Amino acid sequence: MSIAGPEKNSEFLAEFLDDYFAESEEHLAGARRGLLALEHFVHQSNIDRASLDGLFRSFHSLKGISGMVGVRAAERLAHQMESYLRALRDWQATLSPEGMDALIAGAGLLEQIISEHRAHAPITDPSTLMARLDAIISEARNNRPVDNSTTGSVSTGPDPLRTSLQALAIGDGKNVWRFDFVPKPELSARGINVNYIRARLQQVGELMHAAPRVTPEGGIAFEFLVSTSEEITSFPDLFDDGVTYARQVLLPAVGAATIDVAAAPVEPMTASYQALSSRASNMVRVDLARLDELMRMVGDLVISRSRLDERVKHLEAALPAPEWRPLQETSLAMERQLRDLREGVMRVRMVPIGEIFERMQFVVRDLAREYQKQVKLELSGHQTEIDKFLVERLMDPILHLVRNAVSHGIEAPNERTALGKPREGTIALRASAAAETIVIEMEDDGRGVDAEQVIARARAMGIGIRGRGAGAGGQGSGAGAESISGPPEYEKLTEAKIDKAENIDSAELLELICAPGFSTRAEADRASGRGVGMNVVSNTIRGLGGTLELKTEAGKGTLFRIQLPLTLAIADALIVQAGHHRFAVPQASVREVIQIDASEIKILENNDVIVYRGAALPLLRLTRLFGLPEDQREYFHAFIVGSGLNTVGIAVDRILGQREIVVRVINDPLIQVAGVAGATELGDGRAVLILDAAALARPAEGRRIAAHNNGLPRPSNKSVESRTDA
Amino acid sequence: MLEEQNGSKTFIIFELAGTTYAVRSRLVQQMEMIEEITPVPNAPASVEGVVFSRGRVIPALNLRVRFGFERIPIDLRTRLIVIEVGERNVGLIVDSAREFISIEASAIQPPNEAISGLSGKYIEGIAAVDNRIVLILDLRQVINLAEILIGDQPAPSGAQPAKQG
Repeated sequence: MSIAGPEKNSEFLAEFLDDYFAESEEHLAGARRGLLALEHFVHQSNIDRASLDGLFRSFHSLKGISGMVGVRAAERLAHQMESYLRALRDWQATLSPEGMDALIAGAGLLEQIISEHRAHAPITDPSTLMARLDAIISEARNNRPVDNSTTGSVSTGPDPLRTSLQALAIGDGKNVWRFDFVPKPELSARGINVNYIRARLQQVGELMHAAPRVTPEGGIAFEFLVSTSEEITSFPDLFDDGVTYARQVLLPAVGAATIDVAAAPVEPMTASYQALSSRASNMVRVDLARLDELMRMVGDLVISRSRLDERVKHLEAALPAPEWRPLQETSLAMERQLRDLREGVMRVRMVPIGEIFERMQFVVRDLAREYQKQVKLELSGHQTEIDKFLVERLMDPILHLVRNAVSHGIEAPNERTALGKPREGTIALRASAAAETIVIEMEDDGRGVDAEQVIARARAMGIGIRGRGAGAGGQGSGAGAESISGPPEYEKLTEAKIDKAENIDSAELLELICAPGFSTRAEADRASGRGVGMNVVSNTIRGLGGTLELKTEAGKGTLFRIQLPLTLAIADALIVQAGHHRFAVPQASVREVIQIDASEIKILENNDVIVYRGAALPLLRLTRLFGLPEDQREYFHAFIVGSGLNTVGIAVDRILGQREIVVRVINDPLIQVAGVAGATELGDGRAVLILDAAALARPAEGRRIAAHNNGLPRPSNKSVESRTDA
Repeated sequence: MLEEQNGSKTFIIFELAGTTYAVRSRLVQQMEMIEEITPVPNAPASVEGVVFSRGRVIPALNLRVRFGFERIPIDLRTRLIVIEVGERNVGLIVDSAREFISIEASAIQPPNEAISGLSGKYIEGIAAVDNRIVLILDLRQVINLAEILIGDQPAPSGAQPAKQG
């Protein structure tokens, strides 16, 4: 076997780092939950023991794992936070607001440091915050009750391990072992890696110190210090796993070199670690990329099965029924089983959305303080499960909406009182799953979006919305004939034609807010000034195949509704045909399918309109949008997409059927075009485009697509934009 | 791995509008006959459409249109050369292709403006192989996004996609 060279090392390290990031994410989430619970105890000294212990565990674990990957800044900071928690518990110190802030800031900084490490970015120096914590700890020490101890560190009761560790601290060194582990490929093949060893050692005793070091040969080794309360003289099974060990007599100098265990009272962690490891034993941490791979394989299976199905159908005429039927039944059974398999894999990828929601507690808390507002955050449906891929991408959009709500939406307390509203504003975050979609709502009871202001702002910035005929339908009046925009010539649409506020509906308002470059005066302040404008929010959500809706009422509040497919990989779709081409339309975006007689179509200023449910419904023909050949037809099929004033019918030659499709994303910008969300294969090897129904329903976009295909001149600056924002 | 040995490099040779071109074989993923290209509405003129290649959706770029030659119908000799450059996979539609050759590094000269013609800016070198002049393409330039997206005009109305072979 070859000696682990630098390449092997970096492989080990990379694998190990992935685990580190995943694990620290868990502990940070735990810490955030703990801190929220702790906040109720500000100004109190009798803090719920369980909350403190839980937090302590989180920071202790973060310290340990950060030490192992050599993220010293995180290790030191976590250690300092641990010390403060210990002071709170052992000295029954009063939790000061400053202390609470420092803990929250510390959790934030830890997260930042870890992600900086992940991004190979320069690491922020935690010294300032650590000094702050230090001062807070000193204050707690000075104010601590002196009744039950005179020696400094206070013990709440006899505890053999603590006693022994304190003995250790003064250099006794009893029952402390040093373990050295050198990862090797052959060990790794048996599943023995540093995480495994660490877990094993945690069962031996308390893991006091863990750190990687470079061996003289240039390899990587890990060293651990473990203290045990039991008299053990050897660890044969660990030795078999490549671990060398030696009883450690800690000299004061060595004690100082380890993580400062003497500086503060020490917590016995053995029991809790065992609890953790037994809980973790039936959980498996899986790299998302592996699940993606699995999903892709399921997708391939779905395609193969549909090929098989195709063949079976062809055979129907050629085979006698008794021969053919079992074939067909097997094919159908496979379809059901594949569906189950697909759902199983999907379920593995699902995580509760709660983690994002919980983070918002901190955002709201910080921002409310910064803007001197009173805001409470109500969460519901945080158990709703959503694809891990989506969770990661939803963080920024939700963050932005919540920030906006606090900074722009909610009024100052006095203003609210004057308006007869409760002083404290409310932001509600709700999540729910319905069929194949998930709905996330962010609602505030603030002042609402000021349409006048938005319009003025948009006008000042030269941002246009689609032109509307004079006397256009009022707010929320439904799809009336008069609400259809004027002549479809592209040039006219590029004119910035903005009506008065009363003539703009919320969909148009949203369009303006989400226009590239749109910003409100407060955009430059800290809350929103992180480069994530509403344009990015809406692009992100569209990119995920979702939709964004806005409801707002002056003085009452604002509601943003995000609707997303549960998963991106496989979806139910309608297969339609237009101009001799097939297209797939994700069923989640289709509200209804109708048949239209050609004679029902009325022409209104070049727009096709039909009467549908007593109202006028604009009808877009896919053949015209895409410049495809058009036959004379007596009837069409159409599917209805969009909502409110953006409801349109998209007419196609006919709807061929409904089936499950495997969504392949289009990555190359050359083929990313407005109105197309991806491609799929229906079993014959041909690529079939998946329509982005929401984009087709957006009037401006639909026309832009049509304009291109009709060969109308397009302004050169626009042509690039329409492509890149697609 | 075979590549840089003995100072020679391996190339795939193809024909386009009577000219012989070469692309580095290490950038070529595969070569296939063209069965079906799905046109994409509103794509640049040189983008014939999309195809599936190894489960991925990739653009099929008509190299004739890209280099300003006349578009010809797809036939049995037409090939799709799937290249991988950076993170991108693109299929190049060429008149015909089959050869795999190795060219001595010393036989490759920098492009001479006088012979490079229309496709000049996409040429990274010229080599003489068995009495043939071979133009070695700079694939990064060939699939340059900014140029195709801005420079290409959208396909005219009703532009017919490639005939199905």
